[in-house]
Amino acid sequence: MNKIVPAHNIGGYVPMIDGPEKVSGRAKYTADILHPGMLAGRIYRSPYSHGEIVAVDVSEALKVPGVRAIVTGADCDKAFGVLPIARTEYPLARDRVRYRGEPVAAVAAVDDASAREALRRIKLTVRELPAYYTSKAALAPGAVQLHEKKPGNVERDVLFELGSAEQGFAQADLVREGTYNCAEVCQNQMEMHAAVAEYDAVRERMTVHASTQVPYYVHLMLSQILGMEMSRIRVIKPHVGGGFGCRTETLAIELIAALLARNCNGTVRLVTTREETFITHRGRPETDIKLKIGMRKDGRIKAVECECDQRGGAHSGYGVVTILYAGSMLYAIYDLHNVKYTGRRVLTNTPPCGAFRGHGTVDIRFAFESLVDELAAELGLDPFAVRRANLLQAPTFTDNDMMVNSYGLPECMDWVEKESGWARRKGKMPKGHGISKGLGMACSHYISGASKPVNWTGEPHATVKIKLDFDGSIVVLSGAADIGQGSTTILAQTVAEVLGLDLSRVRVVTGDSEVVPKDNGSYSSRVTFMVGNAALDAARNLKSVLVSAAARKLEARPEDIECLGELYRAGAQDKGATFDEVVAEALKDSGTITVTGNYSTTPESHGGKKYRGSAIGGTMGYSYSAQVVEVTVDEETGVVTVDRVWVAHDCGKALNRLTVEGQVQGSVWMGMGQAMSEEAAYHDGLMLTANMLDYRVPTIQDSPPIEVGIVESMDPHGPFGAKEAGEGSLAAFLPALTNAIADAIGIRFNDLPVTPDRVFEAIEKRRLALGKNNGGA
Amino acid sequence: MDALPDFRVLNPATLDEALAVRAAHPGSMALGGGTDLVVNIRRGIVAPPVLIDMNRVAELSAIKADANTLEIGASVRLTALVENPAIVQHYPALAQAASRVAGPTQRNMGTVGGNLCLDTRCIFYNQSEWWRDANSHCLKTTGSVCHVAPKSRGVCFATFSGDLAPALLALGAEVDIAGPAGKRSIPLDKLYIGFARQDVPVTETQGDGKYFLSLRSGEIVTAVRVTNTPGLRSAYDKIRIRKSIEYPVAGVAVALRRADDMLADLRVAFTGTNPRPILLEGTAELCGGKFGERVFKGLDALVRDQIMPMKTTFTPGHYRRRVAGVLARRLLTRLFET
Amino acid sequence: MTRLLEFTLNGRDRTDAVADNILLLDFLREKVGLTGTKTGCDGGECGACTVLIDDKPALSCLTIAATVQGRRVDTIESLGTDGQLSAVQRGFHEKLGSQCGYCTPGFIMASAGLLRKIPNPNEAEIIEALGSNICRCTGYVKIIEAVKYAAALNAQGVAP
Repeated sequence: MNKIVPAHNIGGYVPMIDGPEKVSGRAKYTADILHPGMLAGRIYRSPYSHGEIVAVDVSEALKVPGVRAIVTGADCDKAFGVLPIARTEYPLARDRVRYRGEPVAAVAAVDDASAREALRRIKLTVRELPAYYTSKAALAPGAVQLHEKKPGNVERDVLFELGSAEQGFAQADLVREGTYNCAEVCQNQMEMHAAVAEYDAVRERMTVHASTQVPYYVHLMLSQILGMEMSRIRVIKPHVGGGFGCRTETLAIELIAALLARNCNGTVRLVTTREETFITHRGRPETDIKLKIGMRKDGRIKAVECECDQRGGAHSGYGVVTILYAGSMLYAIYDLHNVKYTGRRVLTNTPPCGAFRGHGTVDIRFAFESLVDELAAELGLDPFAVRRANLLQAPTFTDNDMMVNSYGLPECMDWVEKESGWARRKGKMPKGHGISKGLGMACSHYISGASKPVNWTGEPHATVKIKLDFDGSIVVLSGAADIGQGSTTILAQTVAEVLGLDLSRVRVVTGDSEVVPKDNGSYSSRVTFMVGNAALDAARNLKSVLVSAAARKLEARPEDIECLGELYRAGAQDKGATFDEVVAEALKDSGTITVTGNYSTTPESHGGKKYRGSAIGGTMGYSYSAQVVEVTVDEETGVVTVDRVWVAHDCGKALNRLTVEGQVQGSVWMGMGQAMSEEAAYHDGLMLTANMLDYRVPTIQDSPPIEVGIVESMDPHGPFGAKEAGEGSLAAFLPALTNAIADAIGIRFNDLPVTPDRVFEAIEKRRLALGKNNGGA
Repeated sequence: MDALPDFRVLNPATLDEALAVRAAHPGSMALGGGTDLVVNIRRGIVAPPVLIDMNRVAELSAIKADANTLEIGASVRLTALVENPAIVQHYPALAQAASRVAGPTQRNMGTVGGNLCLDTRCIFYNQSEWWRDANSHCLKTTGSVCHVAPKSRGVCFATFSGDLAPALLALGAEVDIAGPAGKRSIPLDKLYIGFARQDVPVTETQGDGKYFLSLRSGEIVTAVRVTNTPGLRSAYDKIRIRKSIEYPVAGVAVALRRADDMLADLRVAFTGTNPRPILLEGTAELCGGKFGERVFKGLDALVRDQIMPMKTTFTPGHYRRRVAGVLARRLLTRLFET
Repeated sequence: MTRLLEFTLNGRDRTDAVADNILLLDFLREKVGLTGTKTGCDGGECGACTVLIDDKPALSCLTIAATVQGRRVDTIESLGTDGQLSAVQRGFHEKLGSQCGYCTPGFIMASAGLLRKIPNPNEAEIIEALGSNICRCTGYVKIIEAVKYAAALNAQGVAP
């Protein structure tokens, strides 16, 4: 007789359960939805940077044959925004336009050609106002305010000092300061923004298909913007082609599509161009950082002072959170005291920034890890040693009350140090003949979901339902949006693991508000941790229902029932009952079985009250990452090539090694894009790089091998010990790269991206300076 | 769904037919691989009422290559150059240039004629209709100002970025042109008239970034030809921020002959820097005499005088000029020493 | 202008009334309903729309439909036999060459084109052949593994 054992689904290499659809072209994304009679939507965008709207004349546009609806700011006086405290944005501008590309009007027509023709005939008249394209210009005394309630064009300023920076610097042997500039970058996910809105005039119901990371937020905003009861709205999330944070917020796209659909009582498909997707933005803001670190001779950091200005764009978006993260996430990676942080989120006449993978932490981490390396070098300390001198001891709470329960950073450092051959190779990399090689390292971390949700309702943080019926298939219902990160697969694995069943028994239904429980969305790396825990809870609840049924059927006590997945038995000698028999027994009680699983974060993880906004950064579990980057610098051309990356990521427990590796590689590589070639640049507020030629996402030919080490610190609260894997490894790449370049050619780059012309110029500057010195001698 | 302006596509099978329909439709444009023209149509930069699909014109699709002569039809795909053993062996600069155009899929589509006649580029020009409209357009389209050089007095500085031209210029190529008045052949150098001089009006031989080809109305480039020089060594290299898809930040082709320890012949050509590909003038004076620092310094001086990148790309002009010089020097050294 | 266009799509000959000014991409997606081929940029910069024309990878977003008269066009929907995934599809699925999946059809078609030309490519040839395709999720490491695996499957007789 074959030995029956529970199936194991955790910890291996598991291809994504929705992979076959994606590789066969069957996966439907929003733009793939074709309805007969569907109308084509297009948005008229402001050509002006800043101005009071005098008139939006659509009379000529309405005369274009085939036009079915035109909406303007006059059609909606409700503002939207992800943060309840910062809703200043209208789906279509009212009163004022604040950036070039801001939606002003929209058209629905029988075909795209008619819609485009109508756009050409819309006339916007504005009284122009001075426009500000840099933080500095917007902050200058006398600058016109972008928003009435935001004097000085500061969306939010943050100030905290925990301990005394002054005293800390006094205890330091070496104090150094650096200034850093990180260019604005965009998510540029492969799927352009799209929405299909279907208005049922008979029932007065709205259905919206949206390319979003958080269907629930879209639902909330649709209700607010349309003035419709939530019960009349249905949000469907088809397959989504990436997000990286820009689809965390509800975007004007889905709201405009809905306004158009209701206006013409029809179905409108609104697919934006790549340029519009760039301008819709919500990327990482241009950031200026001034950082000061005081260090003892042994490498111990005694004080940190940090000033951070973010050019946020014309509306808040997530901005308040971004500037808070930048400060709070100075903590929870090293043992820091005496930290002073000043942050300003600035309003400018550029497209609104938002939450980009590694939200708020990336540019600050770049500055911090760069300056730490500089201090280490000056003190004659190895970059690994100096970081090891500042490790946390988990479990602990940081000075800003962040709870750290698991901490695999030391093991991450050990792994990359060993695998990269650091001890043997560092400082001995080949140099000369204009080609120099170098090694650099850095560390980073990230949260596994914000402990306090944006919309606090008192409900659990995550809810998962499981349905089991006569057919014996396990149907997991979740509102968590799979945007390519593989969350659906993780939920299936989690449930299958608890029940000891093969993955093929499990189906996951997501993405339709009519069917699935509400979810707070796929962002800040919350899904594996929070929804995973809810799935775990739901699966355990289902198991107990099945065990009870099995006990009845086998005439045994529930505590004596052994679950082997496909077989339930009372002791090793018992023939037992098959899974199907147990299900049939269980159904006798209640008919279709549905169970619920919930998860809520603990209050200690919510951050303290030491400063305003101190909840931002609080999480149940931090992930950790260490990286070593090897580069070759061509000193004659300034071209930098990344030869190889070693990265170790502490994800608590890898539920799926395949997707963990994929997420870590993807984050490292995205960090490389920001560090080396990507930049959203403007000409008088017009985005110059709103296309995929000039916004330079690395190609396969630019991309190095990335070796991934998985560190499992077994978080006490994570599902099976798991923490996040998809964001924490991004930030470390940036400083590891510039540290490696400094190792190769002895020049530090504090401005990103490090493009060949910048490298060339720096080398030339040094050459000229040396020449001058020699000449003078 | 991306609505394109209304146009007709004509599919001539012979060159005579192509010339006839070209003559019959004055606003028509020749369509090769579409990797340049269709992008511009999608962006509303051009809106030709008629596209002439050149890909079925049998006479334009052949490569004839051996050690002595090379003839390539205008509709030949760039991939075909890379994969042709005779070109790889005898005209390496051309094979290398073709292999570095954009990415592999673009090279499956793009044609020799299209690359030679590639529209000039500029960050103020290669933008959407909405963008250009918000920026009051520019000289190269319907505007009255060059945003690169607002005081340019009517001169457009858009940059030529084709990779084949410098390689073929260094190899001393001629182009065959056919039009309503018959066929003619000119040195490739004469095809490009983007001198962008502010002191002379635009004529058939003096143009700028907007009028950068000397083709007359109704003319089509039909082939490019090279007569090989025994002992000629050649190579092409380019700098770009990414290693694929991109246009050159700067591209350089070098062809030379070596006689003992001296340069017997030297031709150096650039792309991605000026409104025309530049075949460096004055290289003959660098030949003869001992190869070394004198040659490099002379080359640097020629580059400094003749290579003038303006702010037409996101990458600064200063860097483009300097790195063009570095590449030239490297190729020169490598070719001389191998 | 509308014409009758005769060509072979995914192995079947067909004749369609096609406007002169429609892109092959939009024709495939909107008129035929083959939405596997994706739109990822405003023209030729990302490779998401890659199809095979006469076995060679081509950008359907820069191809005027009227120019494929008499040609063979293969899209992602043509791959796989008897309901099973092709070698390249299996590679991208099993090795996680696909995350969000949006660039995947383009990458798979470019890879299929490579394997039709070079059945057993080395790593350099893979990297060279996929240079026109952008992926924003994977960092490409697992895409390279996927194509290597596909080549191995191909050697065992699984169609690319």
